[in-house]
Amino acid sequence: MLNLMRLEMKKYHLGSYVKRAIFANFVILGVMFMLLFITKIEEDPGLENYQMALTFIDAMVRAVFIIFASVLIAKLIIGEYKYKTITLAFMYPINRKKLIASKLAIVILFTFSAIILSNALVTTIFCVITESFRLIPDTLTTTLIMQRIPVVLMNAVAASGMALIPLYFGMRKYSIPTTILSSILIVSVVSSNTGNFSLNDIIFVPITLAIIGISVAYLAIRNIEKVDI
Amino acid sequence: MTYIVKTNQLTKVYEGKEVVSAVNMHVKKGEIYGFLGPNGAGKTTVMKMLTNLTKPTGGDIEIFGEKLTDQSYEVLKRLGTIIEYPIFYENLTAKETLELHCEYMGYYDKKEITHVLDLVKLTNTEKKRVKDFSLGMKQRLGIARAIITKPELLILDEPINGLDPVGIKELRELFKMLCKEYGITIIISSHILGEIEQIADTIGVIKNGRLITEVSMDAVNHSQAEYIEVIVNDGKKAAFIIEKELHITNFKLMDDNSIRIYESTASQKVLTKTLIEHDIEIEGISKKTSSLEDYFLKLINGGVVNA
Repeated sequence: MLNLMRLEMKKYHLGSYVKRAIFANFVILGVMFMLLFITKIEEDPGLENYQMALTFIDAMVRAVFIIFASVLIAKLIIGEYKYKTITLAFMYPINRKKLIASKLAIVILFTFSAIILSNALVTTIFCVITESFRLIPDTLTTTLIMQRIPVVLMNAVAASGMALIPLYFGMRKYSIPTTILSSILIVSVVSSNTGNFSLNDIIFVPITLAIIGISVAYLAIRNIEKVDI
Repeated sequence: MTYIVKTNQLTKVYEGKEVVSAVNMHVKKGEIYGFLGPNGAGKTTVMKMLTNLTKPTGGDIEIFGEKLTDQSYEVLKRLGTIIEYPIFYENLTAKETLELHCEYMGYYDKKEITHVLDLVKLTNTEKKRVKDFSLGMKQRLGIARAIITKPELLILDEPINGLDPVGIKELRELFKMLCKEYGITIIISSHILGEIEQIADTIGVIKNGRLITEVSMDAVNHSQAEYIEVIVNDGKKAAFIIEKELHITNFKLMDDNSIRIYESTASQKVLTKTLIEHDIEIEGISKKTSSLEDYFLKLINGGVVNA
């Protein structure tokens, strides 16, 4: 399985996606500071404390990497069907289920670790800068950080699950745009924040979506050995 | 008789339509099996079923003496294939393509890569990505990929599409060589008769999903009569003279101007002389061998062949 994942990464030069993920981190940072300054100029009650700022970062990171995951799904799975390279992959003496599972594993692991690492990176840089320039009228406490860790972890798990939902829409017509669009839709439903409240805060919502995502993946694998290519 | 591939009443139904019907195919070890049929006859579907990409609706397939099932993965190690047209991960170079292929196949002789690229005459493409290859180059790389692991059975679906005449000749030689020297059994499909005729040992003809016949080339060659074709200004008169003066009865008036004489004793010289003596203008005369093409056309047009 690990070997299959390695070959998969080699096949698509997936290393370049790490660079893109890092780039995305800086974009998120940029957006955070823009938010910070705009709310200051407009004198809106914006990011007035760290609790809010960190929630914001987490939501943004998740949104970015759920969409990122759909790009990976489009490339690793939908693209294989669309460009018929799946006929090649299925002609290797490798269990079809394992082959698809290894692709999904890449997507899940990538999404999960990208969310955790990006949260850590963006939060660190953001807080170091805001602390040293006193940009937020609040002090960052260890208690807050300790509180955030399980939340971020939990959210990352849920996000990695729901990131698989676009697979269902993409597979219907082997369409790459549909795959990516559906992820944007999911993100806009789940992560949009109105008056400090998002659907993701109702614990039932992310868990259900994650379960749906995992079921989609399971359905994609279940009958794969009987399917005509 | 050892058969490498044997199908029994192999059938495939797509959306209620039978595209392959009760095909009983027999491929012997070490031969080149030409799989001949017009476009849409079901060649690709059969080949897809042989490689386990598509699952049969009915009947079964035996490869290397074992029944093919949904879980037959090991058997794929012993196959080399090109189905429909060669498909690649287009961002890779030729060398990367072959390396990746070998890893997936569990084959670890890296030296073989340069060797096989030489064999298909695909050199000096180090930096080039497959997406910038011409169709001919892709075809060659596809063949290189199919043969690199030295499979026991090669399944090639229209492998010479997109190649120039020189390339076709080179590959024909290559296939013969692989069959003779490495003992690789090859199933090669085509709708181009001339190609198959030159390399195949056995030919299977498929039409509308049915395998019409399976026959060895030797048998075909023996059954094919030679004939003399004369083009004249007045076919009917000429036919009369041929019968009356030369006592030849085994001939056929093809249209108003051409006659085919199948009698093996007929000589062109005597024929020409006699016709001219009777004031018949000869526009052309030639000796022809009825090729596989005629044989094939006879089959496709519904005739029953006694080969």
